[in-house]
Amino acid sequence: MITGLMLIGIIILLGFFVLMFVIGGYNALVTLRNRYRNAYSQIDVQLKRRYDLIPNLVETAKGYLQHERGTLEAVITARNAAVSANTRAAQNPGDASAMKEISSAESALSGVMSRLFALAEAYPNLKANTTMMSLMEELTSTENKVSFARQAYNDAVMTYNTRREVFPTNVLANTFNFGQAELFVIEKPGQKEAPKVAF
Amino acid sequence: MDFFDRQDKARRNTKLLVFYFALAVLCLVLAVNVAVSLLFTGFTNYGLMIRNLNPVSSANESSLPGSQVELLFWVTIGTLAVILLGSVFKTLQLARGGSAVAELLDGRLINSNTTDADERKLLNVVEEMSIASGVPVPQVYVMDSEPGINAFAAGHTTSDVAISVTRGCMKLLSRDELQGVIAHEFSHILNGDMRLNLRLMGLVFGILCLTVIGRILIRTRGRKNPLPLVGLALIVIGWAGVFFGRLIQAAVSRQREGLADASAVQFTRNPTGLADALKKIGGLTYGSRIQSLHAEEASHLFFANGLGNSLFATHPPLTERIRALDPSFDGKFPYIVEGLISAISPAPGAPQRLQQIRAVQAEAGRFAAPFISQHAVVANIGQATTQHLSYAADFRQAIPPALEAAARDPLGASGLVCALLLANEPSMQQKQLEDLATGTSDAMRDETVRIRPEIQGMQLQAKIPLLDLALPALRHLSPQQFEQFRAAIKTLVASRTKADLFVYMLQKIAVRHLDTYFLSEQRLVTQFYALRPLAPDCGVLLSAMAYAGQENATGAYAAFAPGAECLSHAARCEIPWLPPDQCDLSHVDVALARLSQAVPQIKKNVLNACVQTVAADGVIQEGEAELLRAIADTLDCPVPPFVQLQEASAPALAED
Repeated sequence: MITGLMLIGIIILLGFFVLMFVIGGYNALVTLRNRYRNAYSQIDVQLKRRYDLIPNLVETAKGYLQHERGTLEAVITARNAAVSANTRAAQNPGDASAMKEISSAESALSGVMSRLFALAEAYPNLKANTTMMSLMEELTSTENKVSFARQAYNDAVMTYNTRREVFPTNVLANTFNFGQAELFVIEKPGQKEAPKVAF
Repeated sequence: MDFFDRQDKARRNTKLLVFYFALAVLCLVLAVNVAVSLLFTGFTNYGLMIRNLNPVSSANESSLPGSQVELLFWVTIGTLAVILLGSVFKTLQLARGGSAVAELLDGRLINSNTTDADERKLLNVVEEMSIASGVPVPQVYVMDSEPGINAFAAGHTTSDVAISVTRGCMKLLSRDELQGVIAHEFSHILNGDMRLNLRLMGLVFGILCLTVIGRILIRTRGRKNPLPLVGLALIVIGWAGVFFGRLIQAAVSRQREGLADASAVQFTRNPTGLADALKKIGGLTYGSRIQSLHAEEASHLFFANGLGNSLFATHPPLTERIRALDPSFDGKFPYIVEGLISAISPAPGAPQRLQQIRAVQAEAGRFAAPFISQHAVVANIGQATTQHLSYAADFRQAIPPALEAAARDPLGASGLVCALLLANEPSMQQKQLEDLATGTSDAMRDETVRIRPEIQGMQLQAKIPLLDLALPALRHLSPQQFEQFRAAIKTLVASRTKADLFVYMLQKIAVRHLDTYFLSEQRLVTQFYALRPLAPDCGVLLSAMAYAGQENATGAYAAFAPGAECLSHAARCEIPWLPPDQCDLSHVDVALARLSQAVPQIKKNVLNACVQTVAADGVIQEGEAELLRAIADTLDCPVPPFVQLQEASAPALAED
């Protein structure tokens, strides 16, 4: 009688601990997932700002760089590709294919942008243009903000991924379908830095 | 009743609450015991008991009571353990502060640099309220899956507050109505209701636990299995516990809601805004109902009833609340449908009124250094008024766009804080910037350099509000980035050759508010109930303030004396006067940390003494006033900005 009751008590307590662990672990995973998703929206805002600046920059440069039409078109194409890749990534941050797409689109865009900046060096008139100067300044600052926000996002993704891989939370992660989140890396090491702008 | 009295009252209410709950738990344990003894001894020994009635049989008489006592002992232990564990679990879960509650109810953190018009409007309203009341800008969440109109503020202290509104609240309310709702929530923050509310949530959950376990047990199967019966009993008893919990929730909450409505009106001086918001709740099909599964636990936090009207309503009836604000209310609610409302333009008079105020303020030279009467300072704490609110709206308008954009972005906000801490001398500045680049990154230094010129033109008075505005964006730093940033700004302040108390306090404000967010274990509990053990700390603080305000030692002592005198009276001992090397920044740091653990009335005395010290030469200058605000902030006492009082009689404001 009494042992039976103690057994019930022990079962209740054990059940309680398991329940609390499940709730706690699940909530932690949700919080960490929200955190990295939120971190992406910080990148998103700055990327959009950058995508808005680029056409203005091209428009300003057009008058000076008439013989470099190819580069200018390449910038616009790369920018448009990045815009659509970002739309997809913003809808589902951390998703492997979306993140790979935005990573490569951003790498490509950074590549052509640095080519454009290098070209601009050869045109003193363009460099002296005040609109161009303020646009480039604006772009550099936005670029810095993007990479800062990207660092925060990657930190958040790492924390989340670690949490979902360690025991015992990994059991919960598998049961409730918490997938691996993908980092946002700019692939080529030479382009990791924001394009250098010198006046 | 001033800020400190209200804080004290909230603390007393907490004790009452704990007493109520002890009572409820006692009732629960008794109920479980009765139920279990009925179930086991009652049913299984039914035959035995019948025989016991027969005076002839005496063989079982001695064994029965003994086993029953032991049984009941274990049942009691078990019940208490479940309630205790449940409460501890929930309290730990809520230890992270307001954001934990907001996330529990499926809130989504609004980005500090959002471009969505509705979210922007909401953030602007919250920012204005923050500047007006001196509370750092809280985190703002929106509950996307809630169509009703409701909102809540949760947190332990002013640095971990989260304000959360439903989608309906954000989309359906006009700016004035939203302002009314947010002002109501800020009143909760200033009245010290939030901490009480979180305690309540933790305790109620412990009792709710019984029901949860009961639900699980009831599903077990098997012949002659008593578990489902136990489960059923636990559910019934658990609900009895929830009944007690709700009763107390309702009792504590109802009167505080009325108080918050009243302070909200005092704050915005616009009862129609709040009344219209309440009317919209009445007219909306969803009303103020919250659909989340956790609504029950948090029902006492909300702006309006989250669970529909009942005996246990946590808020007074809508019509009653509206009539208190608008006596002409006829009881008919407007018909509200989501989707239509966005087409309706905001209340017509509002923009003109704002413009009028602005015109008058421009004439009066609003940002000129104010002259402050020394009695107004402590009385003002936690008492924001319409003047503060219009000051805040004006201040926000006056911020250059570049600075505003910076304050909303994590990197920009970090740069902004660093720029605030830079020294004025060029050579010193150069060294600081180099330190910054090595401590963090080149990008951070560039950002600081970019922002610095924008800040240089600003008044001293703008520095604390700017810092407050930057806080939400800084919470978007990753923990690693925060670690770097924290170390960097500490170095920035330490590397200055001449110690500047105000700059140091700025850094302290930033670090303190962000630490509670990033390192949640740093919460301090109240430890000091008397002033006497804090006398040396008061000495450090007052001496440091006296040196900061005066050129020479004699002047400094003259400033120190009145402050010390008013404190030594209260402490019944001498407040030590210290040489400069014993009250430098590191000593001040320790002293403030200890003082912040005192009960509200002690803080009031200390702040009063600080006012006496800075006012010793007859006037409180702008720099001294801002230093006071910064010190009050570290003691968790929000001081509204010091606005010029003569504007109360300005024509545009006199009309309402």
